Amino acid sequence: MVPAEMMHKKRLPIREGLLTMPLSPLSEVQLLGSRCKGCQEISLGKGQYCPNCGDQEIKDFPLSKRGKLWTYTIIRHRPPGDYKGPDPFSPYGLGLVELPEGIRILSPLDAKISNLAIGMELELVVFKLYEDTAGNEIIAFKFKSI
Amino acid sequence: MKDVAIIGIGIHKFGRFGDKSYIKMGQEATDMALRDAGVNIREIQAAYLSEMYLPATSGARILRPMAAQGIPICDVEAACASGGVVLRQAMLGIQSGAVKIALVLGVEKMPRGFMDPGMIYEKWQIEMGMAVNPSYWAMNARRHMREYGTTELQIAKVAYKNHKNSVHNPYSMYQKEFSIEEILNSPVVCDPLRLYELCAPNEGAAAVVLCPREDAHKYSKIPIAIASCAHTIPMYSSDFRAPTDCMSAKITNPGPAEVTSSQAYEEAGIGPEDIDCFEVQDTDAFCELETYEKIGLCKPGESGRLIDEGVTEIGGKHPVNMSGGLISKGEPIGASHLGQIVEIVMQMRNQAGLRQVSNAKVGLAQVIGAGGNCAVTILKK
Repeated sequence: MVPAEMMHKKRLPIREGLLTMPLSPLSEVQLLGSRCKGCQEISLGKGQYCPNCGDQEIKDFPLSKRGKLWTYTIIRHRPPGDYKGPDPFSPYGLGLVELPEGIRILSPLDAKISNLAIGMELELVVFKLYEDTAGNEIIAFKFKSI
Repeated sequence: MKDVAIIGIGIHKFGRFGDKSYIKMGQEATDMALRDAGVNIREIQAAYLSEMYLPATSGARILRPMAAQGIPICDVEAACASGGVVLRQAMLGIQSGAVKIALVLGVEKMPRGFMDPGMIYEKWQIEMGMAVNPSYWAMNARRHMREYGTTELQIAKVAYKNHKNSVHNPYSMYQKEFSIEEILNSPVVCDPLRLYELCAPNEGAAAVVLCPREDAHKYSKIPIAIASCAHTIPMYSSDFRAPTDCMSAKITNPGPAEVTSSQAYEEAGIGPEDIDCFEVQDTDAFCELETYEKIGLCKPGESGRLIDEGVTEIGGKHPVNMSGGLISKGEPIGASHLGQIVEIVMQMRNQAGLRQVSNAKVGLAQVIGAGGNCAVTILKK
């Protein structure tokens, strides 16, 4: 028998359909989008309906890993609810990242807050945010400055 | 289709009231509105309650002890726009002829501090640190500053104006003037927005009584007509709103405040230039600037100039938030829009005391919030 600590822990996306599978290696995981066959509109995550035209013929569409910061704010106090970020809390950027596909994604930013600037180049980072009570690794994303 | 008039208004001060129940606050606002209209509660044929944080069947719990019996009471939630939705439903009921006298009530008693993010965000967004108010407006502000050169001083001027107006509003949570320096020196909460530029969730109630305009003279010396009342959710990718996961950078549809105000203007047959006073959503000071542009008070990018020129002060060409706005009153979500309606009716009846706009004949109230729910009501003397 393999000791429990040597078994590879099961990885789960923080939201179903948000990331490409498999979740290993993490450096190759992308954000998963959907493209509508009818209107060609691209949206974040695996979906059932096109949010633009309502068409149900939509296909998985992995999204680019690089983008530009469209706007941002700085979160200076621990967010309310079950926030899983670092404890003790440290301030971080939160922004809309514009991808070459033409969508803007809300994302936490991994960059020195004094360096944040509209238009800055960013790259996707997929990482373990926390382990749930069953020992699963919960995989989330953020964008870091290049 | 029958025209609809407001014949009674009532309000319970917005603020924090300890153990005082939402039932008591709702009853006080209702009682004031019924007395103002000279209507007995047994004459009410339909009642509507807007709220977001109250328990099930709150409308019945508030009104049944006052002897409302055997009538429909609808409890409605549409986040910050809840009050617009109930007003619209009551208006449609009277327009159709199905209802002769309606009571519209908004009541809220919210927990202290940040609103429970689970009410408007998904679990994963909360865990990743994306469920923070007012990050949405803060990001809009940052982008606006970049595109149009809007300044932190211009944002602070909105807070200055609203706090100054609130001094004369006995129903406001805060009635205190702050200097521009005090506002700009208050702590940054969500860059670039500062503490004295933000509204607080709180408690309060507001109520109005409606009837067909043709019957209004029986009840009120100065009935106020509802020229229009519109409510919409956003078009695809028109804007990013809490909660959000993405928006299109290619498709730009008009935002919810643009769409809803356009509908309201069209239905009323007037435009923003015809309106004498406004009460608009100022969840934060930037939000009010953005609203100037979205409801057509100025072109995109010109809202900073509007505040610099004093256009929206009491005494300016288009006074906005004579009541002190949400920044001063706080935002008891379910009561918010009806509180705006009460203020506009007071202005038109010349009952607004030291915050009175001279010769106010047409007024507009606007709210916008979670899910992009937006409501716009236009009232006419």
